[in-house]
Amino acid sequence: MFDTIMYPLEWCVANIMVLWHWLFTAMGLESDSGAAWSLAIVGLVVTIRILLIPLFVKQIKSQRAMQLLAPEMKQIQAKYKGKKDQASREAMQRETMALYAKHKTNPFSSCLPILVQAPIFFALFRVLNYRIEGVDEAKPIGLLTTELAVEAHDATLFGAKLSDTLVGQWGSGNPAPIIVSIVLIIMMVATTFTTQHQITRKNMPASALEGPMAQQQKVLMYALPFIFVITGPNFPVGVLIYWTTTNLWTMGQQYYVIKRNPTPGSAAALQLQEKKEAKARRKGQVIEAASEDVTDESDSKKSGQRQQPKKGAPRSQRKKGAPSTDPKNSSPDASEDSESSDTKDKKDQDD
Amino acid sequence: MNSRSLGRAVLSVPRYTLIGVIRFYQLVISPLTGPRCKYYPSCSHYGLAAVREHGALVGFVLGAWRVLRCNPWSHGGVDDVPLRGEPLFRRQSSTSPEAAASLVQS
Repeated sequence: MFDTIMYPLEWCVANIMVLWHWLFTAMGLESDSGAAWSLAIVGLVVTIRILLIPLFVKQIKSQRAMQLLAPEMKQIQAKYKGKKDQASREAMQRETMALYAKHKTNPFSSCLPILVQAPIFFALFRVLNYRIEGVDEAKPIGLLTTELAVEAHDATLFGAKLSDTLVGQWGSGNPAPIIVSIVLIIMMVATTFTTQHQITRKNMPASALEGPMAQQQKVLMYALPFIFVITGPNFPVGVLIYWTTTNLWTMGQQYYVIKRNPTPGSAAALQLQEKKEAKARRKGQVIEAASEDVTDESDSKKSGQRQQPKKGAPRSQRKKGAPSTDPKNSSPDASEDSESSDTKDKKDQDD
Repeated sequence: MNSRSLGRAVLSVPRYTLIGVIRFYQLVISPLTGPRCKYYPSCSHYGLAAVREHGALVGFVLGAWRVLRCNPWSHGGVDDVPLRGEPLFRRQSSTSPEAAASLVQS
């Protein structure tokens, strides 16, 4: 039954790869070269991620209206201010989510984009492990004929076959596949880690970075490389290429989001705001709207907006302790701010 | 152990398996991806409650349907597991989210 479910997916994966391989061959690469087949896998990633762009765009659009609900969000925050017990926390989350639904906007991306990619990844795994084989064992599917399967099986990238695994090659005495595998595993771990880091540390509202859940996440983020160090050696070179490429694509997308469309209240949003302010300052105008952390519970932070000193006014007339000299207001890191207020809240509770 | 309690124990195996899988996801996988669910309660909490309330079969279907509803086109919001006897697949939640929230409030 499992084979029946996977068959259509494997068919798609194999066909997309063969089409890309055909394209790269037409562009002058040797048909049986490792480069052509590795690039076919990169092409597979590009195809899948292009097909998933509508999901990505939809998600960005649904985050646009976040600024509009800031006043109502403030009300909710005021209502639950200082209440740290389980029941109030849940009630607050409940009302926040209801608010998002009411405004038809949502900062969260849902898990569908990941869920869709998992079976494809698995199908590629199966194609590389069971279909692309030597002459006797190759199992053709769709456009992937036996000849092509054998060709892909024998193609080498820097001396490593696409189906080679670090575990399988360890005792073989052939250093090339081992080196290629290790390099790819390092790249996979590095890209996975950076993407995670990028998403969680930069593009999450400060309030999502507190609490036991966030702590657990932080621990796991640093544990992740070790998980891959254990599982990675079992992955064929082709799967490692796929994973690294898809991570690079995610990084690019994330970079775009963080630069252009950061989650309100995140460190990235603050940076964008500062950039806009700096630009406005250069043009000699003051912009009103501050990107306030709508999910931050603390009221201690009055405004992230730096007050412009009046032009031409003498120094003595300026307000004492102007925000420009206040390190707290000009702090670029939102999480720092909320952390300090968090500890303050705790102190208040202790009293 | 008599046959009836043995039968009950066997029958509860699928339920506890599902609960174990969801708990594993919550403890190990979910923290890696960060908060991303558009609903309250989140899909995994919904699935857990659904399996506990309705058993493995109905609970699994409810949970799977929820995961599919949580997509980039949905607006999310508050969506609780229907109680036993309530219609399982309603179009809109009949209770207003505020009402539910005011119950838990102190």
